[in-house]
Amino acid sequence: MPEDRVVVGSIAGAFGVRGEVRLKSYCSDPEAIADYTPLYTKDGRSFPVVVLTGITNNGLTAHMDGIVTKEDADALKGTELFASRDVMPDLPDDEYYYNDLIGLSVFDTGGNNLGTVKTVVNHGATDLLEVTKMGYRDTVLLPFTKAAVPTVDIAAGRIVADPPEGLFPDA
Amino acid sequence: MSRSVWKGPFVDAYVLKKAEAAREAGRNEVIKIWSRRSTILPQFVGLTFGVYNGKKHVPVLVSEDMIGQKFGEYSPTRTYYGHAADKKAKRK
Repeated sequence: MPEDRVVVGSIAGAFGVRGEVRLKSYCSDPEAIADYTPLYTKDGRSFPVVVLTGITNNGLTAHMDGIVTKEDADALKGTELFASRDVMPDLPDDEYYYNDLIGLSVFDTGGNNLGTVKTVVNHGATDLLEVTKMGYRDTVLLPFTKAAVPTVDIAAGRIVADPPEGLFPDA
Repeated sequence: MSRSVWKGPFVDAYVLKKAEAAREAGRNEVIKIWSRRSTILPQFVGLTFGVYNGKKHVPVLVSEDMIGQKFGEYSPTRTYYGHAADKKAKRK
């Protein structure tokens, strides 16, 4: 599977007997999953058209290309759906997709490697980059602010950080 | 029942002390606190607190819209990551 694909949802099972599926969307706006077509499965199957038909408990209902019976839908239960990163809209300056930030190398202003971005979390204040360093068990949460992260270079795969004192134990 | 207004907001004394010291020093540092119950006051805006969640200190950059909340609200004790999908991070 190409590396530029990101998980956007999964099929939770059949809905009714006319080939509709229950979709679990992982998107920030659940209904946006239909905008990221074509959707792909891990084994390469693609669904060029996804038509949302309603909302059900814990998810959405939809018609997907090639799924016409309840049996078809049941056979795909638990299948993860991927979208190509290219179909996602461009973002304004200083806004980044979590997927673009995950995996970037973090360097301090002196050029020392501080680790790699493991994930991005938001607990209500600022976004936080969870940075993991090779050989260390604990992760460090780095505030994603202009002061703490002056440079984000996605093309080069690196972030330059100026972390507050005491954030990185031996930085 | 909500807290009586005449008492004023509750803040642990050591938090006030540490915040004042950090502001005077003007250094870019994380103020480590364990007091999740303390109220966020206007004088904390712009400071970064490391609020303990039982395991580590979660950095919380205080902004104006957080005034009146408790520090603990921004440092969850249980973390659910979920999927990144199309989620966006904004650099403030």
